[in-house]
Amino acid sequence: MSMSQTTETSTASPARSSRFLAGGRKVATSFAVILTTLFGLLVITFVVGRLVPADPVISVIGDQADQATYDRVYKEMGLDQPLYVQFGSYLSDVVRLDLGQSTLTKQPVASDLARVVPATIELATLATLIGACFGIPLGVVAAVNRGTWIDHVARVVGLLGYSTPIFWLGTIVILIFYAHLGLIPPGGRIYIYNEGIIDGPTDSIIVDSLIAGNFEIFWSAIHHLLAPAIILGYAAMAYLSRMSRSFMLEQLRQEYILTARAKGLGKRPIIWRHAFRNIRVQLLTVVALAYCGLLDGTVLIETVFAWPGLGQYLTSALFVADMNAVLGAVLLIGMISIAINLLSDIVYRFIDPRTR
Amino acid sequence: MMKRKLAALASVAILLAPFDGARAKTPDDQLVIAMSMSAIRGLDPQELNQLEAAEVVANLYDRLIELSPDKISEPKPSLAESWTVSEDGRTFTFKIRSGVQFHSGNPLTAQDVEWTLHRLVKLGLAPSTDLRQWGFSADNVDALIRATDESTLVVETPKVWNANLILYSLASFSTSIVDSKLLQRHEKDGDWGRAYLQTADAGSGPYRLKTWRANQLLIADAVPTYWRGEPAMRRVFLSHMPESAAQRLQIDAGDIDIAARLSYTDLRGLEAGGEITVDKTPGFGFYYLALNQKDEVLSNPKVREAFRYLIDYDGLSATVMRYYGIKQQSIIPAGLPGAISENPYKLDIEKAKQLLAEAGYPDGFSKVYYATPVTPEYEVAQSLQANAAKAGIRLDLQGGDHIGKFRGRDFELFSARSGERLPDPHAVLQSYATNADNSDKAKLSGLLAWRSAWDVPKDIQEMVTAAAHETDQAKRVELYERINRAYLASSPALVTSFQRTDAKAVRKEVKGYVGHPTWLTRWDTVTKSAVPESSGSESQ
Repeated sequence: MSMSQTTETSTASPARSSRFLAGGRKVATSFAVILTTLFGLLVITFVVGRLVPADPVISVIGDQADQATYDRVYKEMGLDQPLYVQFGSYLSDVVRLDLGQSTLTKQPVASDLARVVPATIELATLATLIGACFGIPLGVVAAVNRGTWIDHVARVVGLLGYSTPIFWLGTIVILIFYAHLGLIPPGGRIYIYNEGIIDGPTDSIIVDSLIAGNFEIFWSAIHHLLAPAIILGYAAMAYLSRMSRSFMLEQLRQEYILTARAKGLGKRPIIWRHAFRNIRVQLLTVVALAYCGLLDGTVLIETVFAWPGLGQYLTSALFVADMNAVLGAVLLIGMISIAINLLSDIVYRFIDPRTR
Repeated sequence: MMKRKLAALASVAILLAPFDGARAKTPDDQLVIAMSMSAIRGLDPQELNQLEAAEVVANLYDRLIELSPDKISEPKPSLAESWTVSEDGRTFTFKIRSGVQFHSGNPLTAQDVEWTLHRLVKLGLAPSTDLRQWGFSADNVDALIRATDESTLVVETPKVWNANLILYSLASFSTSIVDSKLLQRHEKDGDWGRAYLQTADAGSGPYRLKTWRANQLLIADAVPTYWRGEPAMRRVFLSHMPESAAQRLQIDAGDIDIAARLSYTDLRGLEAGGEITVDKTPGFGFYYLALNQKDEVLSNPKVREAFRYLIDYDGLSATVMRYYGIKQQSIIPAGLPGAISENPYKLDIEKAKQLLAEAGYPDGFSKVYYATPVTPEYEVAQSLQANAAKAGIRLDLQGGDHIGKFRGRDFELFSARSGERLPDPHAVLQSYATNADNSDKAKLSGLLAWRSAWDVPKDIQEMVTAAAHETDQAKRVELYERINRAYLASSPALVTSFQRTDAKAVRKEVKGYVGHPTWLTRWDTVTKSAVPESSGSESQ
């Protein structure tokens, strides 16, 4: 293959340059789409943020402050400017990579985000892994055994995961496994009195404790991560098993499967080497979607398990109308989603030659 | 396949094994307090204006005067070893304790005290009212508050006030003494080190700030060389836990020592369990109902009076208000000079109907009612709504953040709770019973009476002013009693029903954590002892 490619490229340079041009146009279009998406995201968040009834000034100065203090802080926060001026000045800061300061934490939003994102990434990554490792095989097995009890069980398991509210499940898990059985920790990333012992470079306690060689805190961090990740992973599993079941069913109906069977191929090679091979691209899309969904969808589980991640940061900022923090978090979530989608596009090219 | 399943199960078991049953108790020399930290917006004592942040500042800093929670009206020496008041009552001379060091290692001197008080007045932020209300301003403070040497501070008041008012103000969190040399080093564009101090510690208190992550956690470490002695709790953690249910589970299991944000049901459940005590701290504020006097119907005194008969004081006392308030219909909080124990009103629908008929509204009326959707304010509002309906008043109850509308006088009915920090009737009365200019343009939006557009009877306002300047304590008490009765009889536009109390659940082994009515709860008085036998944990 590589031989033929070399020959082709060396003999067809006009074709190559036109392809290069087309490629360049494609990149430029994607870039424009990304910028428009992010801009739209910021505009909508900004406008919605102003419509929220919470008064950002009162949340800073308290209810009892007099009018002079109110007016002064109102001006300090730039709220006396027209909306488009406020947005314009925010945008010009963002272009210079300055996300502003959070009124809640009194820290630059960028450094706040750098602190909370690792917690969410730890949680979402493990949850996606759990969801994919259990959900995809479950979906495949259900499709292969369509209509049998295995299929029914798989569908019920999926349906439950799909329809059970995560905060309810989280609360029940805490009630049974923490309050009654004492098997899991109460929430947070580590026990609170283990806080402040390791100040590592990455803000991922798992990584930092390993670097510091503190295995007690490392295990504590893993232990704290398990319950929320399993619950989130269960929801991801439900989604992924449903999707892989339907992708698989579609493949199993194809004629090449019949041909393979007619050739006398065994069941296992037909399923995994033929049918499953063909659903990998679709699966990659849904896994990427599930991962994006988990990154910004961890809000509820972060609240129940006191997990100091992006979701918790965003909600607490919303409650006090801390707009710089809200906009920064939304922008970051948008960028991560775009990055994951781009990444999955790139991976397609490796596993599906038709997309090259 | 089976083998693989077994392997998976085994690996989960291995992960859980080291923790099986190892439910963690907090270490004996560390204190864990759970609270909602979302209101902590910075740690600058001269800027913050909020209970939880004040508790942190109370422990990172010292003040000239101390008020102990059991004798709240008795000023005691702290950084000021002693003081004298001049004959005319206007000049206060403080002798500053020597040998005290800031956490930075800088010695604390009278110059730091002077710099701090100037900083408070000149920054002019919300808590600056603690000094500004006595006539200090950016223009006069340099001349009126001055260090005459390393250990002497002189404070002159522009007018004569009751000496206690000044001393109480110097015990407030806003007058916490900051390290002037440290802050001057971090000063940016003449900001008095404000940007730096938001997240830093420039104090001399029993604890130093180690870590603060907003809405997550705060860690403070004991200062071994603290001038009153090393605190027993080596480290104190504040943990952000806004959910009452989560706090209840964790305090029950011993993962936290103190829970500061619990619902009525959770408090009742914990109290019944026997391992936890509920500490109720009376605060200097009320649960109130504000009736906008710009409204024609609500400005009728008989209508205002009718509302007093629509509150179910006793029913609420026994249920949702059990931990949050003490029934009180007069205006001076219990425990302060002039307080009375009379509560003449009770729920009486017929009486309310009769008053409405006399006012010319026999068929009632409809109004919009704003209330904060939090426990117990909302339950109290719902109860009023139900009772009002029985008397023909249709209240459209709307939850949400309506403080802005209340401050702008753009409401009909509004209810919330207030809290003052000065242990003196003057603080409450100033807000509830003075309104020097009732016009819209006056914008006295710091005063509840102005927000309600209530033109407080002039005789009450004059008595409030006279009492604040009165130096004879006996005469003052008498004056406050008269104000209290006059307010009660005036069918006020601000109807008070309960004096607020702040309830916290504390594990029985924790001693010395005493809620402070002016928000200065201390951690250096806390110790932990073994759980008493009677608490029912002998099976361990």
